Amino acid sequence: MKNFYNDKELLSAYLDGELSQAEKKYLEEKIKTSLELQKELADIKKLKDLTASSIEKISGSPFFDTRVLASLNQNPSSKLKLAKWIPAAALLFLTIGLMILLKFNPNFINHLIEEQKSNLAGFYKQNLQPLLYATNLTNEDIFNFAVYQQLPLDSTNQQMLKLGYDPQGAEYFEIKKIDDADKMQPVGNLRKFVTALGLGDLETRQIDSIIGSYSEQLSSLVLVSDKNAVAINPNIWNTRKAILADIISFAQKHASDNLNKIVSADVANFDVSSVAKWVSEAKNTKDDQYIFFTPDSIFKENFEFDIADFKKNMKNVDEDLRHVSEKNKNVQNFSFYMDSTFNHRKRSSSLSHQFKVFTNNNFVKVTLQNSDIPDIDIQNIELPDFDSIAIIINEATKNVTVGRPPANSVPFDNKNFKFEYKTDNPKKGKKIEFNLDSLMNLKNIDIDSLNNSINKNYVNNFLNDSLMIFQNKELKKEMDNLRKELKRFRQQMKNYENKDDENNQNNLREIKNNGAEVIQI
Amino acid sequence: MDFEDKIRKDMPQPKILILDDDFSLIKRFIDGEESVFGELLKRHKDKVRNIIYITLTNSDLVDDIAQEVFITVYRNLKSFRFESQFTTWIYRITINKCKDHLRKKNIRRIFLPLNDEIEEPAFESVNENSDIKQIVRNAIAALPDKLRIPLVLKDIEGFSYQEIAESMDCEIGTVKSRIFRAREALKKLLQPLEKELME
Repeated sequence: MKNFYNDKELLSAYLDGELSQAEKKYLEEKIKTSLELQKELADIKKLKDLTASSIEKISGSPFFDTRVLASLNQNPSSKLKLAKWIPAAALLFLTIGLMILLKFNPNFINHLIEEQKSNLAGFYKQNLQPLLYATNLTNEDIFNFAVYQQLPLDSTNQQMLKLGYDPQGAEYFEIKKIDDADKMQPVGNLRKFVTALGLGDLETRQIDSIIGSYSEQLSSLVLVSDKNAVAINPNIWNTRKAILADIISFAQKHASDNLNKIVSADVANFDVSSVAKWVSEAKNTKDDQYIFFTPDSIFKENFEFDIADFKKNMKNVDEDLRHVSEKNKNVQNFSFYMDSTFNHRKRSSSLSHQFKVFTNNNFVKVTLQNSDIPDIDIQNIELPDFDSIAIIINEATKNVTVGRPPANSVPFDNKNFKFEYKTDNPKKGKKIEFNLDSLMNLKNIDIDSLNNSINKNYVNNFLNDSLMIFQNKELKKEMDNLRKELKRFRQQMKNYENKDDENNQNNLREIKNNGAEVIQI
Repeated sequence: MDFEDKIRKDMPQPKILILDDDFSLIKRFIDGEESVFGELLKRHKDKVRNIIYITLTNSDLVDDIAQEVFITVYRNLKSFRFESQFTTWIYRITINKCKDHLRKKNIRRIFLPLNDEIEEPAFESVNENSDIKQIVRNAIAALPDKLRIPLVLKDIEGFSYQEIAESMDCEIGTVKSRIFRAREALKKLLQPLEKELME
């Protein structure tokens, strides 16, 4: 085959008259004996002719000479040569300029970057407002935050802020979409906890006020702006601990027996006064360094958020109710967009040593590499491990049934409101097996009545006028006829048994034929 | 005196021998007689323009590129070394200019948005009845540059392999194999029309 290809190449050159004598002789010998080469030769010849005839010469251009000679006389060569160097020269001047600038002002670029940074920080610092404005934070939310470390970020509960510690002990916060696993039970965890502790009316109100007192502080710790920026104060970790400590120490003070039942005595037994001291210290620790989490970068910046000022502002706007509701709506509709702009962080995360960022479609996790949490400086206080207590409380109060609290009327705005709790008591200690029957029982569905209704509907509405039922009728009629025929046949057989053999035989044959006919029908 | 004059008049006057081959013209050009460049231009413009036309498969740019060729020739003629034919030299310049243009066009195409791509007409249709010729022209235009150029130089311009090799700055063996490959490719492209073409 390779030889044949070589021969074909030789054929091509042969037709072009470009073979040496020896090659020509060799090829001509071969062509004589090979039909294939002969055909190939004819093909190439045809192709060569086609190529040659396909393109006609371009028509002459009468003014071409004049044009060329004129352009030669213009002698643009020097101009052209200069023009060629313009970009290179520009680049050279630029480089030299930059070199001189950096020589005499080496910090120029750093300044530029710093300036841009502060511009950026300023941009994101505008219009920051508390995401969880005090009035929108319920005690349940705060309790859930203290125990489960998660705060709902928007009114529709589509996103939440979750705090935690990674295995290395570094603090992290996450902003993520709430999935089913994270959804809070409708029945309040705080109520369950209170019920489990068996707190009285007064004490319940006390714990409510304790928790409520944190709402303002908490709301100033998470700020958002309309530019998709979130500012989180690192003090939030301490605040969360303080709330939990406050709740537990209150519980220990007022219902230590029940608390000991929930969590084991040795865990629950701690020095209330020192914890209280720590809590008050933690409450007063202020930190003006916020962690700004923005689509562009993540940075720590000083930012003083004056909650009192904000409240005053809010009060001012309060007069215009419509306006305020709009403003509230804006805040409440906040949702943090985790779009592709965060993806570049994956690459640049190594640049910022302070934070480690992990992003996903509906999930952003920021781990604080250095300990940014302000220390609360109190010596000789051993805090119990609140996190493990929280877990125990969580487990223990899971199955607590919330009793119906006394529906005391609460004076409010000269009207009496009653709060009633709808409770749903699961049967305790009863193992429930689920199968179809139990589900049916559960729903009180009477299978018979169901069947009846189905049949009724089926016959009445569906099959009554269908072709199928019509055919069924025909068939039934046919079958009845057949049955009658068979009956008659049997009767006849009985009669014939009594008659003589020959007759019997003949009749039998006849009847059999009849029967066959009948059956054939 | 009159007689002598008469004789002079009647006798064929000895002509001053004017050599007008390319080399002589170039020599005169080098000696300062720049006006002979017009003669060189007149002599070679058709071939140069035609080479550009068949190489680029496009007539729009022929004059522009041909002008560039002659400007280059004019500028470099004084350093011509008489080692090869003037035609070989000018054809090499022509083909290099064409290759430059094709290269630039390909680069430009990379930066063009897809829908902006301007399809240059591949050989204008000469007349309505030349369907088959048009098909063949399109097929030739579809060949890769390095196969198409030697093929058209051979089959249309009638260059020898040696001339093609010199113009394209490559070996004769390469020319031979490229022309063969060009024909094979052309055959494949025209395969669907084999019956019509081979009639």
